[in-house]
Amino acid sequence: MTPAGSRKAAGLLQAFSPNKILSRSAMNIIVATQVVVFLLIWAFASFKVLPKPGEVFASIGDLWTNQGLGQELLSSLSLNFEAVLISAVLSIGLAYLTVLPFFRPLVAAIGKGRFLSMAGFTLVFTLLVGGGHPLKLSLLVFAMTVFFVTSMASVVAEIPKADFDYARTLRMKEWRVVWEVVVLGTVDKAFEVLRQNAAIGWMMLTMVEGIYRGEGGIGALLLNQQKFFKMSEVFGIQIIILIVGLCQDLIIGALRRFVCPYATLTLERK
Amino acid sequence: MLREKIAYDVRECLLSVKGVNLNLGGRPILRDVNFEVHNLYRPGMLQGQVVGLLGPSGMGKTQLFRILAGLNPPDSGHVLIGDPPVPVAAGMVGVVAQHYPLLHHRTILGNLVVAGRQAGQPAKAAETEAQRLLEVFGLKEQGEKYPVQLSGGQRQRAAIAQQFMCSNQLMLMDEPFSGLDPLALARMCQFIKDIAQTDEHKTFVIVTHDIASAIEVCDTLMVLGRDKGPDGHFIPGAKIQQTVDLIARGLAWHTGISRTPEFHAAVNEVKDLFAHL
Ligand SMILES: Nc1ncnc2c1ncn2[C@@H]1O[C@H](COP(=O)(O)OP(=O)(O)O)[C@@H](O)[C@H]1O
Ligand SMILES: [Mg+2]
Repeated sequence: MTPAGSRKAAGLLQAFSPNKILSRSAMNIIVATQVVVFLLIWAFASFKVLPKPGEVFASIGDLWTNQGLGQELLSSLSLNFEAVLISAVLSIGLAYLTVLPFFRPLVAAIGKGRFLSMAGFTLVFTLLVGGGHPLKLSLLVFAMTVFFVTSMASVVAEIPKADFDYARTLRMKEWRVVWEVVVLGTVDKAFEVLRQNAAIGWMMLTMVEGIYRGEGGIGALLLNQQKFFKMSEVFGIQIIILIVGLCQDLIIGALRRFVCPYATLTLERK
Repeated sequence: MLREKIAYDVRECLLSVKGVNLNLGGRPILRDVNFEVHNLYRPGMLQGQVVGLLGPSGMGKTQLFRILAGLNPPDSGHVLIGDPPVPVAAGMVGVVAQHYPLLHHRTILGNLVVAGRQAGQPAKAAETEAQRLLEVFGLKEQGEKYPVQLSGGQRQRAAIAQQFMCSNQLMLMDEPFSGLDPLALARMCQFIKDIAQTDEHKTFVIVTHDIASAIEVCDTLMVLGRDKGPDGHFIPGAKIQQTVDLIARGLAWHTGISRTPEFHAAVNEVKDLFAHL
């Protein structure tokens, strides 16, 4: 092998060594390679039902120009944003309330809502809030909150006793201890928990938009395409949702780095 | 070598520990711990003090530390501080715990300022005092950094500085010498001796198992250990077994004591004592 060749081989080996940190450009190459391999497999796979990449991207164009994909996407985005906001306030608030023993059983019970099926709640919620937008919103908020509150409550529960004691040695009264250790001390973790749980909204979207189609939305659009076996359209919409989800992840991550600059300082993989 | 005697008065009681008992998991950890720390006064000089609570690992030093800090109550007995004496509560004495905790979401300056504000200082005054302490503690460049960005030694000094912002005369430290390399250890010893003698007029109570460092920085040592029963077995529960007055031995308030034969004699004496605890 030539020296340059052996250096490349050594570089390749690095990608398979534990805890190695590769340069940004090296990581980009790896990502690009994986995407290309994925597209190749997709393009040449022999599954008949699978639409080809070309078909899918063509149908995205068609959805955009002829079926108002942009409009529907906007509708879903605003619904999701609203739900994430309400759910974040509710969940973080409830988790912080667990500093009061009275609220611990309540919060634990809400978290157990994770095991329940959304379908079983549509009737109850319809009767409670009426149909339409409020119904969609409340279902989304419920679905997200049960997970979000579980993660956030465990973040609060896992604060070490030493942290509380330390705050007390600074002459903090108990409520100030809560503010400093429980609230400010977990902001960075709250962002991470938000990032992970905000994805549930997109997962639930087709279900709630299917229940009430009056406002349309990308989930309703997906169900319509599915009804007519339009595979490449269905795939196209899924890809759009994936891209939107990726952006959501990135935005929340950026928000975290902005609000909590201390959070990522000591990470090996920044 | 005979050093000149240094004159001093024993004044008011700063810390009084009376009959402290503690059981954990049904096992006695501390048994009838009694001692007092008085303010010493050297004519014409500001003289803080450094009192060492010395004992082998697992002897209950950290538990005693928590009781002195007002973080845990003893099963029986009292800890009184100040003059007139009042029962201790968390926040009344400065406390530097073993791993030098700091508020991770605040900068070093922010950590100091928040402590000053807790002690009732106005924002401006707290900021000024924080800047002054950062300077004194050699942390001037670190003010805008977050705790995770500091080295071990810097972190330790930051934690002490933070407690200076909000504590009165007493300052408790748990194992301040552990985890330091020889150079950092020497610097820490000098640092404690220096600040004990500045205008802060502080009294340090240091909990440690490091015999040599304790003898170097302290002027009074109290050795924690267990009693032996008539059958030669240990009776569970530690108490103060011996008090060593290092001032009387000429091993305090002088420079360069760690090179003297008396220093090594004292270290060996306490080492022998440890073997029987
Ligand atoms: N929560 C606990 N329950 C029971 N025993 C404990 C507990 N915490 C500490 N101990 C015991 O108390 C003893 C003293 O511990 P500690 O004060 O940490 O010792 P050290 O002198 O090394 O600081 C040890 O033997 C330890 O096992
Ligand atoms: Mg200890």
